[in-house]
Amino acid sequence: MGKTGKYIPQDKMVSLIADDYRLLQVLSRFGIHLGFGDKTIEDVCNDNTVDCNTFLTVVNFIKNDYLLSDEPLSLSLNSLLHYLKQSHIYFLEFCLPAIRRKLLDAITLKDSDVSFLILKLFDEYVDGVAEHMLEEETNLFKTAGNLASNENMNKEEIPAINKHHLKVGSKLKELKNIIIKYCPAESNANLLNAALYDIYRCEEELTSHCLIEDMLLYPAIKSHQKIS
Amino acid sequence: MAGTKISRIIIAENSPIIAGGINNALTKITGLRPKINEVTNKASLLDIVSSEEIDILIANPTFGGLLHPDEIRKNSLNSKIRIIAIELSKLSPQTLSLYEDHIHVTDDISTLSDKILPPEILKNNTQEEKETLSAREKEIVSLVVKGFTNQEIADKLYLSIHTVITHRRNIAKKLEIHSATGLTIYAIVNKIVDLSEIKI
Repeated sequence: MGKTGKYIPQDKMVSLIADDYRLLQVLSRFGIHLGFGDKTIEDVCNDNTVDCNTFLTVVNFIKNDYLLSDEPLSLSLNSLLHYLKQSHIYFLEFCLPAIRRKLLDAITLKDSDVSFLILKLFDEYVDGVAEHMLEEETNLFKTAGNLASNENMNKEEIPAINKHHLKVGSKLKELKNIIIKYCPAESNANLLNAALYDIYRCEEELTSHCLIEDMLLYPAIKSHQKIS
Repeated sequence: MAGTKISRIIIAENSPIIAGGINNALTKITGLRPKINEVTNKASLLDIVSSEEIDILIANPTFGGLLHPDEIRKNSLNSKIRIIAIELSKLSPQTLSLYEDHIHVTDDISTLSDKILPPEILKNNTQEEKETLSAREKEIVSLVVKGFTNQEIADKLYLSIHTVITHRRNIAKKLEIHSATGLTIYAIVNKIVDLSEIKI
């Protein structure tokens, strides 16, 4: 690790995970599989055709509590986009459906109480997230993808993202509060706690994901526009 | 503390020991829910105060050469930003007069608290404490979850549609519930309506 507490290309990939297990997610989203032995970050990135600089920027950004250093960013839009798209797939196809299953196990669905409404609330939330992510992919990611493939996009406005993000975050908070405050008493406490833990973690991961979009993707698009 | 407003605070100090120490001390102040950014150069300081609603700036007066509090205020999105000096060495009265207050390394938490959160600000915050719903608001909740539109509710209760919308906004704020399904759950659990009265 460099003197400033940042990872450098010569660090071993395995030390990353040993320091912070949240970085496991980052690896898989960049398309890096486990089983890399004692190779350095640089070598593993090269083996997997991942832009090492982009990988390290994301890793150091998460590691550094989402604070950016003053150094200028130089990111590969393609690598970053791949990462963000894989994040969307993770949330929509893995994380949120898994939470739904846990929630369903925890609350006994009955017509006589609010249990089914809680599930409905969850489903509405997931629909909202899916819609938001789809919109992002069709607008923002497309703009970024075109820029990466050097198509002339200078005049195109970058679609705004920040407003939506606030909404996605506050809705999950609402969902969590409602489960905690109004869940039917017959629910299985251990299963419900497990579902809630997952919701808290998912909330953190979503926040992290949104911060990467706001603070890395957005500036990366802007700087690419200036260059081209 | 429920309902306490989150305060956006910027620490402009180049020494990581001092900035980190202030950061840590702020989290110990009761009633303050700080969201803190540390900045290390003048450009990012100006960038952040001009683009986000910052409540408090805690700054070393020598930050970025020399800090000009009036320049920050001029560029600040929040015109009421409080700028507090970090006094590491004795500051002249002229310098101090540019700041709302100043903190010192020997200040204890309660002294810091008085300087960061003066009583008038604290009062504003606690006014946002959650209240329970009024009878009229409960009436509106019950109609909303039964599926009536704002206009229908206005007609039923002899109110203008604007009043209904204002009520709904206040209800959402008080309960921190913004979705119709969430409101339905609240209404059933609190026995404002019966499950049988609702069409899902």
